[in-house]
Amino acid sequence: MSERREPGFDQAVALVLRIGAFAGFLVMLAGLIDGVFVHGQMPLLIEKFGVLIMLATPVVRVFVAGVLFFREKDWRYGWISLALLMILLLGSVFGIGEH
Amino acid sequence: MSAVLVALGFFAGLLGSLTGIGGGVLLSPLLVLYFGVPLRQAIGTSLVAVITTSAASSSIHLQRHTTDIRLGMTLELFTSFGAAVTAYLVGYFNRNTLEAVFASFLLYSAVTILARKGKVKVRDEEDPSPTETVDTAIAPYEPQRYPLGMGASLLAGGLSGLLGIGGGPIKVPVMYLFMNVPLNVATATSNFMIGVTAAASAFVYYRRGDILVHLAATLAVGVFCGSFLGARLAPRIHSKYVVGLLVAVMLYLSGHLFVHLYHGWRP
Repeated sequence: MSERREPGFDQAVALVLRIGAFAGFLVMLAGLIDGVFVHGQMPLLIEKFGVLIMLATPVVRVFVAGVLFFREKDWRYGWISLALLMILLLGSVFGIGEH
Repeated sequence: MSAVLVALGFFAGLLGSLTGIGGGVLLSPLLVLYFGVPLRQAIGTSLVAVITTSAASSSIHLQRHTTDIRLGMTLELFTSFGAAVTAYLVGYFNRNTLEAVFASFLLYSAVTILARKGKVKVRDEEDPSPTETVDTAIAPYEPQRYPLGMGASLLAGGLSGLLGIGGGPIKVPVMYLFMNVPLNVATATSNFMIGVTAAASAFVYYRRGDILVHLAATLAVGVFCGSFLGARLAPRIHSKYVVGLLVAVMLYLSGHLFVHLYHGWRP
């Protein structure tokens, strides 16, 4: 690696991604299964929730990495994480009102 | 219908994570050509699949300690910015132009993969050890030529926001050839970056209503299973045939898109 860091860092970031992906998957799956039995808005709402979990996963990953960088007193990469978070937030704000 | 879509997602995820190219590049043209989904919605929908592949497979790469998080997050600044901007602009793009760019990118990706196949193995195939020792296989290196990497990231991100793909065929060669990063680290780091890049544009697509929720959820369920399996199998499978299959599928889809474009040209 370009710079050494404690192995726990990789593990923590991996855990965030894994939890997010699993949660999104399970909720979407629940929505699909629900859709087999129930007709109406409910299955679609569950699926939408699952999709949003999936979309939020990378954002949470950036947030967690940023917190870890700041805790390691690695200011440079802490600020990079924060800037990245700003770009992601701006992206979601810019989309509002677009059709 | 749903079963077909889950299976489609499964194979896209499997092939995508076995080869490190991501599933999105196959899904959007399939949705356009065989399911009659308009390209912009197909792109938005497959972004969900792209994020799923990246999250599932890079969690496994991270545990093998082949991902350079610092390099990845620095370049992500540029990929995300590029992706958010083009995702916003894509609303003003002509459908045919978009399809032509997509078909060209597919062709380009297939060619780079073929070129790379001749020289080096496409994925990190070493490191079968289940031990948790830290990056024993990777010699120390120092990434070089950051400005070039940043420029390439901006371009890769821009294409990602425009086409709903990961941009691996741009980032991996640049990191490997110009930034002095080992190939397996470049592949893992590119995969790591894809999730955030895709998320940056996915929010814009979502707000615009270009993510078809039911379709996205159905595909993502398949993609999730496929990419987990793919990332687990990757160290054990000889990628020669897999890469051959992927290139064949990409060339076919690219050709089909060009034909589709030729028949449906409405300026």
